[in-house]
Amino acid sequence: MVNQIKTICGYCGTGCGLIVEVENNIINKIRGDKEAPVNKGQTCVKGAFAFEYVHSKNRLTTPLIRKQGVLVESSWEEALTLIGENLQKIKEKWMPNAISMFACARSTNESNYITQKFMRAVIGSNNIDGCNRT
Amino acid sequence: MGSNTTEAHPIIANRMKKAAKQGLKIIVIDPRKTDMAKISHRHLPIEVGSDIALINSIIHVILREKLYDQKWVAHHTDNVRELAIQVEAFTPEYAEAITGISAEDIVATAREYATASRGMIAYTLGITEHHCGVNNVLDIANLALLSGHIGKEGTGIMPLRGQNNVQGAGDMGCLPNMLTGAVSISNDHYRNRFENYWGVEIPSNIGDTQTRTFEKMENGEIKALFVIGENPLVADVHLNHTRKLFDKLELLVVQDIFLTETAKVADVVLPAKSWGEVEGTYINTDRRVQRVRKAVDAHPSTKEDWEILCDLSNIMGYEMKYSNSKEIWDEIRLLAWEQYGGISYERLEACYSIHYPCPSEDHPGTKVLHEHFHQDANSNSEKRKFVPVTYTPPIEQPDKDFPFILTTGRRYESYNTHTQTRYYASGIKIKQKEETVDIHPNDADRLNIEDGEMVEVSSRRGNLQVKAKITEQVAPGLVFMSFHWIEVPTNVLTINEYDPISGTAEFKACAVAIKRL
Repeated sequence: MVNQIKTICGYCGTGCGLIVEVENNIINKIRGDKEAPVNKGQTCVKGAFAFEYVHSKNRLTTPLIRKQGVLVESSWEEALTLIGENLQKIKEKWMPNAISMFACARSTNESNYITQKFMRAVIGSNNIDGCNRT
Repeated sequence: MGSNTTEAHPIIANRMKKAAKQGLKIIVIDPRKTDMAKISHRHLPIEVGSDIALINSIIHVILREKLYDQKWVAHHTDNVRELAIQVEAFTPEYAEAITGISAEDIVATAREYATASRGMIAYTLGITEHHCGVNNVLDIANLALLSGHIGKEGTGIMPLRGQNNVQGAGDMGCLPNMLTGAVSISNDHYRNRFENYWGVEIPSNIGDTQTRTFEKMENGEIKALFVIGENPLVADVHLNHTRKLFDKLELLVVQDIFLTETAKVADVVLPAKSWGEVEGTYINTDRRVQRVRKAVDAHPSTKEDWEILCDLSNIMGYEMKYSNSKEIWDEIRLLAWEQYGGISYERLEACYSIHYPCPSEDHPGTKVLHEHFHQDANSNSEKRKFVPVTYTPPIEQPDKDFPFILTTGRRYESYNTHTQTRYYASGIKIKQKEETVDIHPNDADRLNIEDGEMVEVSSRRGNLQVKAKITEQVAPGLVFMSFHWIEVPTNVLTINEYDPISGTAEFKACAVAIKRL
């Protein structure tokens, strides 16, 4: 069965509305949404065709930790505990401003809100920026 | 200005082209003869980095010929004299010598823009990626304000945004000086609102930009860096230098969907969900909030960006619990209600997109900003200030050893560091599959370079080998490259000079040499 999902393109800032056709959890096709106020059904080559990265075999599917110089697979618990302990240590030894964060201009508003909340409320620093300068 | 719209924002370009057919006059200001230049009413092939000389000269002509509404300007501003003094020296003839654009074209452009019933300026990174990027933007604002092309439909200044949610990321507070809703971190009253809701104290000092972070990594003040969905090693200027900075960190965490070049040097890598696998909202280049929906189930051991940070937060002793993106959005609506209070998920289902500011559910959203400029003609209007600026040439000028100017940008089919656009659907015919250095036929002739031949491009910071593409899109003395392919890491060449206010690097101008292999 083909599902049709309405969404917004993930590439440039134009904000084109897309209809994503999905079969067996695989994106088959993307077309412009005629109801979308921005693009009225049009798409560019990236929006319509550059989607196979979602299903790429090269996607990261497990956390990785550097051990003896090499990145090795780990559990979420081990990876997050390691990060948490190290951030805490650095925060106590060097103050919160020794930590900095680069947020993601490709991610949702919701994720970006949580990103800066994490930095300000948990780390206690305003060292948060994104690629809006490049 | 400085926008290769056809390649970087193809759908916006389509709409511009359609409007041009219906009579819209488009003036393209760009060093390269882009596709937009071909359909333009006039193309001004400006010398790289001389934008302020041009804009000041246009302002000079508008003031000299009194092509502006003097009453309106006097009502809304109080320092047009200062602007006049700054642009006095920028006669069209003087600007011609700097910009390479004829005095006649400058005068004609000034007259057309100033006297048009409606005029809009759209710009992209050709304006901002300079050591004087902020001044470039300020001068655009000076020009729009003087001409009264602001606060009405079909007017204004339109920065075309490069990433799907670069507008939203900043608006959400992922900036060192702004909280969610784009209010200054030093506004005590606004910050208190967040402190009360979050139950913590938030520092009131402005944090570090990316640029400053790199500087502090160099001198050892920054010990830990957390990078989400970004590949700064390849994307930022002076790549060889950036690589060394990462080695100095005690902790580098990279959260991404691929093992990017930056992830490869991290201490911990976290697998995130991608577009198509998550729910939420984006904000586009004209302030529309729109719903993004999940199309496919992600690999079970990947997590959404916000989920990862909530888990980490809980481990570190600060509770953050949300069961879905809607709960987070509702917190955003509550705290930054002036901008997003009225934009519920339910409303977005019904009406597709809503422009913020939209403070309440019965508010229609704000399509045009700054309408007050044309509504309060008889009232005491708050005076706005022009910010006069002067021209400063690119930091690195071509010379005997490095005789070409390299300007960088994007290409149609590829996106940034190419981690995603490597994966096109099969059967799609891609025109540009690898990097090239685009060079003018006259220069290629002189250096005896043939189309498709491998050449060496070098700057004071690094060198690389790349195929030459001979094209009249670039002017003689100018070469163009993108930074999409790690196989040809263009940013080993670019210069680490930055705008002092924005921290944006001068990607658009450095000096290089080219030789046959």
